[in-house]
Amino acid sequence: MRKTINKKLLLSSIATTVLLSAISQAQAQDSVFVGHLADMSGPTAFVGKNYADGVRDSLAYINANGGISGTRLESETIDYAYKVPQAIANYKKWKTRKNMVAMQGWGTADTEALISFVARDKTPVFSASYSGHLTDPTAKNPHTKKPAPYNFFYGASYSDACRGLVQWAADDWKKQGKDGKPKFTHIGANHPFPNAPKAACAEYAEELGFNVLPPVVISMKPGDFKAQCLSIKSSGSNYGYIGNLGGSVQSLVKSCSTVGVDIQFMSNIWGGDKEVFAAAGEGIQDYIFPTMTPFWGDDVPGMKLLREISKMSDESGKEERVHHYIRGVCSTYFMKEAMEWAKDNGGITGENIKKGMYVHKDWVPKGLEGVCLAANWTSEDHRGVNQVNIYKGNYNDGDIKIEKVSQVTLDRRDDWLGY
Amino acid sequence: MSSLTMRPCGDFRTSYKQDNTIFETKTIRWVTIFTIIALCFAPVLLDGYFITLLIQISYLGIAALGLNILVGYTGQISLGHGAFFGFGAFASAWLNTSFNIPVFLCIPLAGFLTMAVGMMFGAPAARIKGLYLAIATLASQFIIEDFFARAEWFSGGASGSMAEPVKLFGFVFDTDQSFYYIALFALVFMFIWGCNLMRSRDGRAFIAVRDHYLSAEIMGVKLNKYRLLSFGISSFYAGIGGALYAHYLGYVSAEGFTIMMSIQFLGMIIIGGLGSIKGTLMGVIFMVFLPEVLSSGVGFMKMTDWGNIPMVIDGLAYIKEMAIGLVIIGFLIFEPEGLSHRWTQIKNYWKFYPFAY
Repeated sequence: MRKTINKKLLLSSIATTVLLSAISQAQAQDSVFVGHLADMSGPTAFVGKNYADGVRDSLAYINANGGISGTRLESETIDYAYKVPQAIANYKKWKTRKNMVAMQGWGTADTEALISFVARDKTPVFSASYSGHLTDPTAKNPHTKKPAPYNFFYGASYSDACRGLVQWAADDWKKQGKDGKPKFTHIGANHPFPNAPKAACAEYAEELGFNVLPPVVISMKPGDFKAQCLSIKSSGSNYGYIGNLGGSVQSLVKSCSTVGVDIQFMSNIWGGDKEVFAAAGEGIQDYIFPTMTPFWGDDVPGMKLLREISKMSDESGKEERVHHYIRGVCSTYFMKEAMEWAKDNGGITGENIKKGMYVHKDWVPKGLEGVCLAANWTSEDHRGVNQVNIYKGNYNDGDIKIEKVSQVTLDRRDDWLGY
Repeated sequence: MSSLTMRPCGDFRTSYKQDNTIFETKTIRWVTIFTIIALCFAPVLLDGYFITLLIQISYLGIAALGLNILVGYTGQISLGHGAFFGFGAFASAWLNTSFNIPVFLCIPLAGFLTMAVGMMFGAPAARIKGLYLAIATLASQFIIEDFFARAEWFSGGASGSMAEPVKLFGFVFDTDQSFYYIALFALVFMFIWGCNLMRSRDGRAFIAVRDHYLSAEIMGVKLNKYRLLSFGISSFYAGIGGALYAHYLGYVSAEGFTIMMSIQFLGMIIIGGLGSIKGTLMGVIFMVFLPEVLSSGVGFMKMTDWGNIPMVIDGLAYIKEMAIGLVIIGFLIFEPEGLSHRWTQIKNYWKFYPFAY
């Protein structure tokens, strides 16, 4: 008796599997597939979840509103938990079974592991890894070890963002009318992500007349960083670039506030948002951080569409999204418009989407004016955005204030390409 | 394959040759040969997704076998296996790009370089054991990881280093389908080597050190030599696995070779079965397929109307992560000897069917 039941169960489950795969294949007609790798439960989930929500809501919104000029946009979001093997396996699965035309990726781990594959398969990848070395598609700069012709990202690279901050710091030093050379310190873990802008940024800081001090290493994980703060204090550094994100930044700010370090913190793009400020508390005083988008609730024309997109996962429309979410939306919308161009010019394929990225000048996706910065990608220069919005955050006993300080536009210098 | 547990009753051997055989029975030998031949046709029959998974099983399997030789056969412990795996990956890429050594030579050379590094970090094993050794090898994990981030000449620092595809007689193995044969060859070769090692004098010495180090020493087994050798062989395997990984991806980044990877290797051999070569492979297959099976479960949920809402999918994503931990705990409680032991039990059940006692 037991055996027959098992057999029935087995047969019915096989039948369901066959049926479901048949359905999914039937749906695949006149549609394109975009894969989405996200980290919602791994070590970078702190900001990865926000960014992933942005991408996912946008994909859902595009699909609900006509797709890519009428072509259905299929997508799948996979939480790969920042594990390289799972990222590769999913990429291959999408590529071979779903005929993926483009991918929305996430961090350094998956983006760099897939560089060779995506170049070979001609699949554009839009990542949230802003490493400078992804910006040189033809390896024009001798610094570039591995050209990444199919990698795109929305925003200034880590190096460029840091250069923008350094430029701001140089002006700030002059404005305050202080004498002598300002001192600059890189603070971050010894890890590819904080290290990415280290050399490039230090070089530019020296060029602008900073005295670049030896970098201070703090762990990527939250901890007690009073010892490091004391060494920053004794070095008398004036400007500190924070290369880490999440809990580690909170710990650093708290520890340094306890020790009483008088330093102007400037963080990378992932190291400053409302959640960080609320958790770090008192230490957040004139905390400088870059963004590539305005904030939730700012009065810009594109905010209307953004609110509609946000409703895909939050029907009440009350949730306040952080700027990482908005960057995810921009990344998806640039891809969408490149896909639309591709559809009109020979069909939606990876190669055509790449070409579509180079068509527009000072490009802002329709409906997101004021939200996404104007971008210029060319076949030799993947530095889409060379502007950095610089904001200042204050804790104010819980009444968090974020104000815009300046907007820096960086030169597209040849020696900065891919570096 | 050479079995190390006590033999079941009725299993008689009348010559040394029988005692030393790689395959216990003729059937097992034929099944193995047939499986390898069948695997050669995999690129024709299976799609790219399965080929990737098989390649993953190959390079992870080779590295996991190394760890099993160290942990399961010699009774030492290493929490730095992930870092050695990474060292092999960088070493092979570095040898190839800096000295223009052909890739097919770089892979074994990277193995030997990793072996040297592994023996260096395994040296404390001569003096300490148990938990203390675990912590000493943990240090190797962090030292090597830090080295990757700092040594720009070796690893390319933050920007990583690139690894050329394997070239042999003018043929470039740069697709999954072609690289699969390299991976399969390496897997078969390294596993046969592992089996052979375990029936040799050195292999028996490893087991003696594991079972009772004092007795082994009294019998004339040099403890220091064999502990160190075991670290060396284990790292050699890790290095080969890492080198294959590097030339498969074409690019190595310092991210990924973390303590989590080391623990995952330990998980593989615990699930598969400590001190079992076929168990190692079973454990790796299990660990590679588990997340895939779970995520296809999430995929099916998405096809239904009630399941395709972010709350359900996010919830399942977390469950997927927890499931791996849960499975390890489950194995430790219900099957501490791993999948290979379970396999033996199933085999015995059918052997005696229907007269099991």
